[in-house]
Amino acid sequence: MITLEHADIRRILPHRHPVLLVDRVLELEPGSRIVATKTVTGSEPCYAGLEEDLPASAYAYPASLLVESFGQTGAVLWLYSAAMAGERSEGTLIFGSAREVTITGRAYPGDVLRHTVEIDQLIGDNAFMRGETWVGDRRIATLGSVLAVVREGLAVGTGS
Amino acid sequence: MSEAREKHLDELREIVAEVLEVEPEEITETGSFVEEHEADSLRAIEILARIEKKYKIDIPQSELPQMENLKAVYDVVAHQAGWQD
Repeated sequence: MITLEHADIRRILPHRHPVLLVDRVLELEPGSRIVATKTVTGSEPCYAGLEEDLPASAYAYPASLLVESFGQTGAVLWLYSAAMAGERSEGTLIFGSAREVTITGRAYPGDVLRHTVEIDQLIGDNAFMRGETWVGDRRIATLGSVLAVVREGLAVGTGS
Repeated sequence: MSEAREKHLDELREIVAEVLEVEPEEITETGSFVEEHEADSLRAIEILARIEKKYKIDIPQSELPQMENLKAVYDVVAHQAGWQD
């Protein structure tokens, strides 16, 4: 079973702090499936500048960032698998779309998001993915179809 | 128009409408996806992906530029899938 630490992830994804939203890969089966985590903390930029005395619900991790984190996890699977297969990805990694997204729970500072993502369909430089996001034994989101694409422009990752 | 063609057109119309987030009735045979429904290259690849999945066919990406309206999509898919509608 392949696992990846943060340093490995930085070699695969072009994203950097504070928008690199994948911390660690627990399992990776090339071309098929990935399980990765993202720890939510109170020092996330999304909590900066909030007013005092807000209710607990104000600290729910934003769904937009959850979906982005999911998409990045899928991109790790896609780009890692492509690299292993000897296929070079040249261009800019772009979030295409997310459909059939159901949010069934919330994550708060201190929680660890665990995304399980499968590649559903690959068409050239376009990857369709689906999966779920869990916090412990609670499933908090199901994502029916997330599209990531690579388009001509800047290079993906930093290489090395 | 043959029944099979009508059925296929309806199926394709449904797929296109879902991706472009409009009602199926709004998708006419010759209405441009780009001009009438603000489609872009990402929507186009989503339409292609769903069609490939539904009919279990491969459509070369080189066909994408000509899939600009429902009739054109039908023609491309009919060719790739070998429909004799």
